[in-house]
Amino acid sequence: MTATPTSPAKPAFSLSSFLSGRANEVGLVVGIVVLYAFLAFMAPNFLTPANQLNILRDAAFVGIIAWGMTLVLISGEIDISVGPHVAFAGVVLAKLAASGVPLPMAVLLVLVLGAFIGTVAGFLRARFEVPSFIVTLSLWLALRGIAQVISNAVPIVIMDFDFQRFGSGALFGIPIPAIIMLVLFVVFTFIATRTVFGRSVYAVGGNAEAARLSGIPVAKVRTIVFAISGVLAALTGILMASRLGSGNSGAATGLEFDIIAAVVVGGTSLFGGRGTMLGTLLGVMFIGALVNGLVLMGVDPFAQGIVRGFVILAAVMINIISIRRVRSR
Amino acid sequence: MQQRLIEMRGISKAYPGVTALRNVDFELSRGEVRALLGKNGAGKSTLIKIMAGVETPDSGDIDVDGRKGALRSPAEGIKAGIATVHQELSIIPEMSVAENIFLGRWPRRAGSIDWNTLNAEAAAILAQLGFNIDPRVSASQISVAQRQLVEIARAISKGAKVLILDEPTSSLVTQEVEVLLAVIQRLSAAGVGIIYISHRMDEIRRIATSVTVLRDGTHIRTAPVDEVSNSDIVKLMLGDATTASSHRAPAGHVAGKAILSATNLAVLPRVTSASFEVRAGEVLGIAGVLGSGRTELLQALVGLRRPASGQMTLEGAAYAPKDLRAALAAGVFMTPEDRRHEGAVTMLGIDENLVMASWASVSKFGIIQSGKMNQTVNQSIAQLGVKLARPGEALANLSGGNQQKVVIGKALNAKPKVLLLDEPTRGVDVGAKGQIYALMRDLATQGLAVVFVSGELEEFPEVCDRVLILRDGQITGEVTGDDVRTQVLLDATMGERRPA
Repeated sequence: MTATPTSPAKPAFSLSSFLSGRANEVGLVVGIVVLYAFLAFMAPNFLTPANQLNILRDAAFVGIIAWGMTLVLISGEIDISVGPHVAFAGVVLAKLAASGVPLPMAVLLVLVLGAFIGTVAGFLRARFEVPSFIVTLSLWLALRGIAQVISNAVPIVIMDFDFQRFGSGALFGIPIPAIIMLVLFVVFTFIATRTVFGRSVYAVGGNAEAARLSGIPVAKVRTIVFAISGVLAALTGILMASRLGSGNSGAATGLEFDIIAAVVVGGTSLFGGRGTMLGTLLGVMFIGALVNGLVLMGVDPFAQGIVRGFVILAAVMINIISIRRVRSR
Repeated sequence: MQQRLIEMRGISKAYPGVTALRNVDFELSRGEVRALLGKNGAGKSTLIKIMAGVETPDSGDIDVDGRKGALRSPAEGIKAGIATVHQELSIIPEMSVAENIFLGRWPRRAGSIDWNTLNAEAAAILAQLGFNIDPRVSASQISVAQRQLVEIARAISKGAKVLILDEPTSSLVTQEVEVLLAVIQRLSAAGVGIIYISHRMDEIRRIATSVTVLRDGTHIRTAPVDEVSNSDIVKLMLGDATTASSHRAPAGHVAGKAILSATNLAVLPRVTSASFEVRAGEVLGIAGVLGSGRTELLQALVGLRRPASGQMTLEGAAYAPKDLRAALAAGVFMTPEDRRHEGAVTMLGIDENLVMASWASVSKFGIIQSGKMNQTVNQSIAQLGVKLARPGEALANLSGGNQQKVVIGKALNAKPKVLLLDEPTRGVDVGAKGQIYALMRDLATQGLAVVFVSGELEEFPEVCDRVLILRDGQITGEVTGDDVRTQVLLDATMGERRPA
């Protein structure tokens, strides 16, 4: 080694290096194209605009939380409480509305409550080092339980047609939940790539000790990540209540695993430090199209679970293998 | 009964790029306690690895207790009766002492562990060795020193005839050292051959019967311990290496005024009362043997450890940082010794690692300002001479030396007044070492106070204006100017104590 300092040269743009740096996203685009070709051929009406908008609307209920879940996984944590949190938020909203609280106020309260629940979960993880799986497992049990107690496990109807448009209406033909999801995608891409907080999430997940010794407030970062996840779960709960026209304690069953699957299919590492919002968007679209296509093909609902399980496993394995191949080159 | 336990003839071993051992002869007899000495990289570890069967030599013959031929695996080494107790202990805390002693060799009856036999046999071995440890207690409940004894008991239970102890006292406090030395004497009286690696001359004088000095992979001398003085040993270890350095301060250089000072600082258990000052514009070394508390002392200066007592001042004002962020805000920062686990997030980009401790200066309202960030990053890369393809590539792609420069760069971007470098040259090649020394000198010239800690004494003369000697929990001396020589430092850190 010599002592000549090398100033960083501006690298010439090369398509191959651009693609190899995004092996994960490129692979997912290819996967989605193959899936679309297959479903266009096999499932009647799959490619119609109406069905595509359906896919987009359904995707929103996974996608909105998935942005927060991406940050949670990048920070090296996990949040499995989001499914019950969605049901809980819907029930609380409906109960507030039924007891005469104006809806805009009720919506705000539910969002603040969501942030508070997430903050508590994050605080327990950050301050007392309770593993996030255990903290959110407790919430997973408790939140649906509270929702059932409040509602007696019966849907609480929300009588407000303007509010219902929020979850089932459209703007310029695009479902409103999908618009919210896409706007939040832009916001979270910005957070993850352009803010000190976002980069600190990567640093904490990549090497928490090094982050701490660099003066990054590790506990604060961990707490905020869970607070974000809580707000997004509450927002999704509000949208779902709006779409269903009621708060339902049985809503969003198993949603947390659809979300984690989408994020992981999108290339985010469960071990922290790695992941992108674009990857998650593609993961959400991939799983959304798959679920929709299976329904259109008339696959037995029980068999759908089997297919989804295997397809998700295959997608993640292909992802891991292709990334490894690019790296080793 | 044969007297000779180990006989090695003409052992050579090369790794890609380095010759670790060259034609080394080594013998050990029953009951002998041999001190194995040499600087880092002299070949001590390779030699003991070959004895234990962890490495196979490229050439040479080995006889272990009459058994001919090199040992091809650690299992063969154990079978031949050779056991090593490493600095990092292999005790499983969730298991009992007895389970640990017979790890993987638990007595069984009808397919399950025979607890009565296990505990009885463990108790017998502990009693035979004179260790006062209950075999049924969990290993998590005994002290580090006792864990080391359990490890020795494990070796003896396997029928070890040769026990290799690699820096066994580095993590022990004084009374514990006494216990260990007594154990070694008992084992030696029972005929076990012992190879003792340590840098503490006083311990060696007390227990060793003979010494072997290695240097640059060759055997320099083996002699009864009474026939060589400490200064002979130091000379043998160093050879006639001269210390000409280009990174020292020019003659007539005067350091600035004291910026950081400590009075009777206690960072327990290692450091009991350290008093010193750090001056602006100097490179100050802190020298001490492994386990002297060098790292702990630095950690107290940056708020990672709370001193048990004593005072610190920074620029004349009282200084007691409650955590690392407070120290950083006050202008004191440290680069940690374990680069991979503590120094950097290697999966992130070089650019991000460079600004990780100074995000505030390249962002506004929490939003990163790319222009400012690129400017800072490019300045750092030019200043540090980091070789890279592009600033955004993962830090993991760089060599150890370049990674270390980035870790130092990260600290510099936080604009500290006092920069503490804990083992900044560990695992770094010679060329990068020179560059890091040059950088340290540059920073001192610009008025920074640079504190340099290293376990390799020969590094201090390369760059330090002044070296503090950390020993027995105190700053026992100070070496300045032309006195900063390896031999002086060796005498001061591990030689006999001179009357004050």
